[in-house]
Amino acid sequence: MSSKKIVIVGSFGVGKTSLIRRFVDDTFSEDYKVTIGVHILKKTVQLQDHDINLIIWDTEGTDEIEEIRTSYLLGTHGFIYVSDVTRPKTYEKIDEHKQYLSKNFGNVPIFTVGNKSDLLPKGSISQKKEELDFLDILVSAKEGNNVQRLFEKIAKILIS
Amino acid sequence: MINQDDKLDLLRTLLLTDDRQLTESISKKISLLEETIREREKLSAKVSPIIKEELETFALNIPDQLGPVITQTLKKQIEESKDQVVEALYPILGKMIKKYISNEIKLLSENVDNATKDVFSGRAIKRKLKALFSGVKENEIILSNLAKAEVEQIFVIEKGSGILLGSYQTKETVDEDMISGMLTAIKAFVEDAFKETQHDLQSIEYDLYEIHLHSFHKYYIASAVSGTFTERLENELEDFNLEISQEISKRNIIYDRTKLENLLLDKFKSYKFTEE
Repeated sequence: MSSKKIVIVGSFGVGKTSLIRRFVDDTFSEDYKVTIGVHILKKTVQLQDHDINLIIWDTEGTDEIEEIRTSYLLGTHGFIYVSDVTRPKTYEKIDEHKQYLSKNFGNVPIFTVGNKSDLLPKGSISQKKEELDFLDILVSAKEGNNVQRLFEKIAKILIS
Repeated sequence: MINQDDKLDLLRTLLLTDDRQLTESISKKISLLEETIREREKLSAKVSPIIKEELETFALNIPDQLGPVITQTLKKQIEESKDQVVEALYPILGKMIKKYISNEIKLLSENVDNATKDVFSGRAIKRKLKALFSGVKENEIILSNLAKAEVEQIFVIEKGSGILLGSYQTKETVDEDMISGMLTAIKAFVEDAFKETQHDLQSIEYDLYEIHLHSFHKYYIASAVSGTFTERLENELEDFNLEISQEISKRNIIYDRTKLENLLLDKFKSYKFTEE
C-alpha cells in the first residue's frame, strides 16, 4: 500500500484541524484550540482497486504562507488550501499562495477548499458557489458535507 | 477691700492648684497620644517593634505549637486520599528513580565494558574466563549484561516527506507511519531552528530510549534503542546502517517496501550487536 503526504494550509480559524478530525475520526468539536507546530494524522482511503495511506500534516494557521516552516512542506504529494467561506480575507490571496507553493514545492496538486458551508444562508449556496468558483469544493467540517468526497478525490488524483 | 467673688477665686486657687496641674498634664498626654495614633509613621514606629517581637516569638514557637497540628492534618489527608497521593507522586518518583538507576547502570556498564573490550566473549564459562583474565569481577560483568542495550526498532524514512519506506521491529508499537512523520517533523524543526550549524539531528533521548538518526542522501535511518546506549553500540549501529544503505543502493529497492523490509529482517537476524 502506498503512502502519500498531504499538507493542510490556510489562515487561522478556517477549520483545518476540524476538517481533518471529521475525516479521520468523524468527530467535530465547537471548542477552538490553536494548532501549535504540526499535527500528523493518518487515514487509509479505500478506493475501488487500490488502498492508499494518507499521512496528513496539519499545520498552524497563518495569513502569510511563507511563514510556514519550509521543512514541513518538503516532499509533499498534495496540498489542501483551506479557507472560510464566511471570511473573504481567508481566500483573498489564494492565487498568490498557490503560486508560492507550486514554485517552491514542486508541481503537486493543490486543492482549494471553502469550509463552513453550513454557515451560508439557506438558499444562497448555489449563488455563493458561483461567487467562489475559484475554489475546488465547498465543505462543512461541522456537518460533514463533502469531507469524505474531498479526500477520496485527492486520493484518486494522487494514485493516478 | 476684697469682694466676695475675689475671695472665692482666691480660695479656688489655693484649693485646686494641684488638680489643675494634673488636668493639664493629662490633657497634654492625651494630645500626644492622639497625635501618635493619627500619624501612621509615628504609630508604626511605636507598634512595629512590638509586632516584630511577637512574630519572632510566634515563628520560634511554630514547630512546637503548630507542628503536631500540621502533621496530624497531613496524615489524615494522605490517609483519606491515598490513591490521589500515590497517583500524583508515583510518576515523578518512578521516573526519577528509573532514570537514576539507568544512568548508574550505564556508567557501570561502560566502565566494565571498557575493561573487557578485548577479551573474547561468551556465556557462563566464557564469562568466568573473562573475569579471570580481565580482573573484572564476574558480578560486574553480569550487571553489565543486565543493562544490555537492545535495538528494538529500525525505520527507513524518506527525507522531507517523512514517509515510511520500510521498518523492522521486535515489539508492537503505535502506528509506525505516524512515528515516521513525527520523527521527521521533530528533526525538521530542530534542524531549522539551528540551521546556522548545518548539522543533522543525530539522536533523540526519550525516557529510557535513545533514537539514533543516521542521514543518507534520500532517506534517514532511525533506530530506537532501549537500555544503555554506549559509544561502542553507536559505532556498530552506524556500521549496520551503512551496510543496509549499501544493499539498498545495490538492489535499488528504496521504494519497494516489501523488499526493503525483507532486507532489514535478514540483516537484523544476521548482524550481531556485541551489546546484545
